[in-house]
Amino acid sequence: MLEVRAIDAAYGDVQVLAGLSLEVREKEIVTLLGSNGAGKTTTLRCVTGLLAPRKGEVLFRGQPLSKVAASDRAGLGIALVPEARELWPQLTVRENLELGAYDKRARGRAAQNLDRVQVMFPRLLERRSQVAGSLSGGEQQMCAIGRALMSEPSLLLLDEPSLGLAPIVVEQMFEAIRALHASGMTILLVEQNLAAALEIATRGYVIETGQVKLSGTAAELRSDPKIRAAYLGL
Amino acid sequence: MDRFAELVIASVLLAGLYATMAYGLGLIYGVLRIVNLNHGGMIMAGAYAGWYLHSEYGIDPYLSLLPVAAVSFLLGIAMYRGLVHRLPRGAAGGVQSLLLLFGVWLVMRNVAYLLFTGNDQTLRTSYSTRAAVLAGALVSVNRVAVFAVALATLIILHILLTRTYLGKAIRAVAQNPDSCTLVGIRVERIYALTFGLGTALAAIAGLLGATLFPFNPSFGAGELLKSFVVVVLGGLGSVAGTAIAALILAAVEVFAILFIPAYLTAAVGFVLLVLVLVLRPGGLFGQRVLG
Repeated sequence: MLEVRAIDAAYGDVQVLAGLSLEVREKEIVTLLGSNGAGKTTTLRCVTGLLAPRKGEVLFRGQPLSKVAASDRAGLGIALVPEARELWPQLTVRENLELGAYDKRARGRAAQNLDRVQVMFPRLLERRSQVAGSLSGGEQQMCAIGRALMSEPSLLLLDEPSLGLAPIVVEQMFEAIRALHASGMTILLVEQNLAAALEIATRGYVIETGQVKLSGTAAELRSDPKIRAAYLGL
Repeated sequence: MDRFAELVIASVLLAGLYATMAYGLGLIYGVLRIVNLNHGGMIMAGAYAGWYLHSEYGIDPYLSLLPVAAVSFLLGIAMYRGLVHRLPRGAAGGVQSLLLLFGVWLVMRNVAYLLFTGNDQTLRTSYSTRAAVLAGALVSVNRVAVFAVALATLIILHILLTRTYLGKAIRAVAQNPDSCTLVGIRVERIYALTFGLGTALAAIAGLLGATLFPFNPSFGAGELLKSFVVVVLGGLGSVAGTAIAALILAAVEVFAILFIPAYLTAAVGFVLLVLVLVLRPGGLFGQRVLG
């Protein structure tokens, strides 16, 4: 479904990705692992079009994305839940969710999808008239995921959804991700919480300094001695 | 008591004009982070447009409001696409945008001198001097009409910004443009539309102002400064904040004539601005961006 072919990416003179390749197949949860600064977020920015790769190509359902404007990619079915949630802090929860369905493909079903999101996260229904900036971290994360779902994505990109959340909320997040996957959504999950990510993922990639260092099924990665030593502390 | 009622009514009526004038400046700054120095130029252009259509073709200024607003809207979009769009974004573009838009203003002002000379003009209609009794005070009919148009403009804007997808997108772009791109909002398009809206508001304010005051090609400079005062007082983007700030400025100016010579009343606003900047730098209602 998603194919990233040998992309290079840089911010000004600072090169972040060097020939990174990966693939996400239909109905998979693929997790992207690696330490801070390895290039995980940058990879997602290249998929969503917020950053254009200097070299290489990103394909979605076989279609090269280099000619597709970033603002048209939601319409193709790609949605990102950004690392710091990136909500509109002075719009209400309801408005944040509504704008998730801005693209004309999903706008007609906005009311239906709003119901679905509020059933999934009842907290968002309670808080619908509050401005998003006044929510707790966990609620903001729910709102960010809800906003992404409003566009009816077929590929959901999640950037560190557990970052800075209390353990019990983290558990809820992973539960929600599992439920989305069970409903047939394809997911690319960037996580620092390796153990939890490998538990729900089908496959994973470990990236270091902008390149894939290791890849395999979740079971393979879990039992890899290097990963156990470097990331899991075993 | 009559005198007091008269001054209160005068303040409220003037505040409508000030709010319309300031809202365009605040909207553009809130969304694009650009101080549109050409705001003054467009206020002047709106005044001349209304005057020209009235004196050449006998069109009532209130009838020319809509076409003048529409043309200014398109002109604003053209200015955005042709000029402003090319500037670097964010803090880096700050100085350049000031210089560029100040330059546009100078060009417009000089074109106006060329076309209409520097003489003061007035837009006089049959009802310009008519007055009516309102709450025991004698009030100019035209001032009431200006207020009604200003109020209607602000209400329409408020509905646009809070009830429509486009308006919500405009407010969202002001707060986080990248997230807007992610949900399919064409941010550049929103910038262009917002610049057009702000420009149209300036022209509407100019046209309304022309029915009240004499003007020449330098018209708009004082109005730009007053707009600054209102934006700083009221914070960005909240229609209610802008309205209250406009009312404060208008009341301070109107009531000042009781205490100081009339030619000094325009300075009162700036004293107010300095006081606010020193005492409450975030504005009277705190910092809100199109909330």
